[in-house]
Amino acid sequence: MKRLLLPFALLLACAVAVAWPAPAAALDRNFVGSAQVDYSLVPTHHDARTFPNGFDGFTTELAGKIAVDFNDHLSANMKLCFGCHGFEADMMYFDYRIRDEINIRAGRFSPTFGAFNLRHDPANHRTSDKPLPYDMGRMLRMRQWNLGVLPSPFPDNGVEVNGTHAFGARTQVDYAVYAVAGFKGASGGSDIDFQASRSPSSYYVDNNGRPAGGGRTSVAVKLGELSDVVLGASAMYGTYDPDNKLSYLIYGGDLTLRLNRTNVRIEYLARRTEFDTANQAAWKYTIAPQRGNFFVKHGGYVEVEQPMTRDLDLILRGDGMLRDGNVAADSQLSAHSTVVRGTLGLAYVVIAGLRVKASTEVWKFSDTDETNRTFELGFHAGLVGTF
Amino acid sequence: MRHATFLARATALALLVVGTAACPTERSEALDPSTLPDDVRADYAVFAHTCSKCHSLQRPLASGITDDMEWKRYVAKMRLQPGSGITIADEEPVLRFLHYYSRREIEAKTQAMSPDGGPQ
Repeated sequence: MKRLLLPFALLLACAVAVAWPAPAAALDRNFVGSAQVDYSLVPTHHDARTFPNGFDGFTTELAGKIAVDFNDHLSANMKLCFGCHGFEADMMYFDYRIRDEINIRAGRFSPTFGAFNLRHDPANHRTSDKPLPYDMGRMLRMRQWNLGVLPSPFPDNGVEVNGTHAFGARTQVDYAVYAVAGFKGASGGSDIDFQASRSPSSYYVDNNGRPAGGGRTSVAVKLGELSDVVLGASAMYGTYDPDNKLSYLIYGGDLTLRLNRTNVRIEYLARRTEFDTANQAAWKYTIAPQRGNFFVKHGGYVEVEQPMTRDLDLILRGDGMLRDGNVAADSQLSAHSTVVRGTLGLAYVVIAGLRVKASTEVWKFSDTDETNRTFELGFHAGLVGTF
Repeated sequence: MRHATFLARATALALLVVGTAACPTERSEALDPSTLPDDVRADYAVFAHTCSKCHSLQRPLASGITDDMEWKRYVAKMRLQPGSGITIADEEPVLRFLHYYSRREIEAKTQAMSPDGGPQ
């Protein structure tokens, strides 16, 4: 019953916000949403079923968002989404913008990290799935890998100060610094528990009382009338266990280049995660006395998005991850595991607001699975609507 | 049995793609620049470039916003999103295009609602 309270309350709040009569003063409301249904097929797997190591079959992602501008300085955003993990309050925050350089954001939001998260909604990226470093459940062998480096989105409760300063008409610098509750994991844990981190079952309450902090800075330069480049760097640090003994540090850099209609996106991020070494038997390899209490998961992608016609986009993407460090005793991964994927995708506008996505993926893992496979082939066919 | 399952799933996947893509409807989220007045095309190009970085053009074009002040606030908000890459230089042409587009939408609606302008 309690699990239904959050979605019910959010839906009710959305309905009230939309239906509430606007006062005489200007109050701008904008209601948007998206829905994606995707079918994933992995024919190379021995019985064409990948669950629980990957979602094989239909999946849906639904989202509704309302943005309210009270005036030039105060606005609010509320977004409710439903995905493979159930209902989620993706956004519920206020922005108080004092000036371009100082905006105070408070509530529930994804702290500013990297370039991809701005486009995490399935209506805003052209493939059915996300780049591997930001994967939240569409990757094969997701349980062994415990998803990507930083599964996106990553909404959290806290405060962020961000801003923009323009240097002339063509260059501007953005920054963001924040303090949020941080990711969660078990006491004596081996990795972050992303399900627990985003689950409303614990009422979005922090598990250790110590905020995580981070920031991002980026510079955007306009190269020409229809060309620009954005270069960014991000970092985030916190502890994930209730005892505040196990830390994580996530850092990365990104480059987004737009040359007329061509988009080139390059991003790298890594997560250094400490784990508990008290129980040696829980680990596959002997714990090294020095620097043996953490692993580092690296991830990166290069993506080129090229419109072929007004209605057809071609997407080429290469992405991968490298996990360096000890693993759980029963893990199929090794001390130096890699996964590389190549994707060829198409996105086609059926009618304004409705788009078909189709992609083919080639996977190569460094480790064998229970059937001695290291190679997989995957197909996605999706339909995404947006308004 | 395994082949039958695979065939059924591949067929479902193919039907989803072909079925939706083959719908004989008017489409395009972007506008056809050749249908725009000469003095609007350059502004539209900046709008299309700027506003398609993070979301589809359908979002602003179908938003129903027609008020210039609301557009100004909306575009400023987008520009100030961390990492948006939208510069101050982009704002003016984007707002000029949105002004044109809003007027065009209002005129189209007015015409459709007039006694002799509706569907025959």
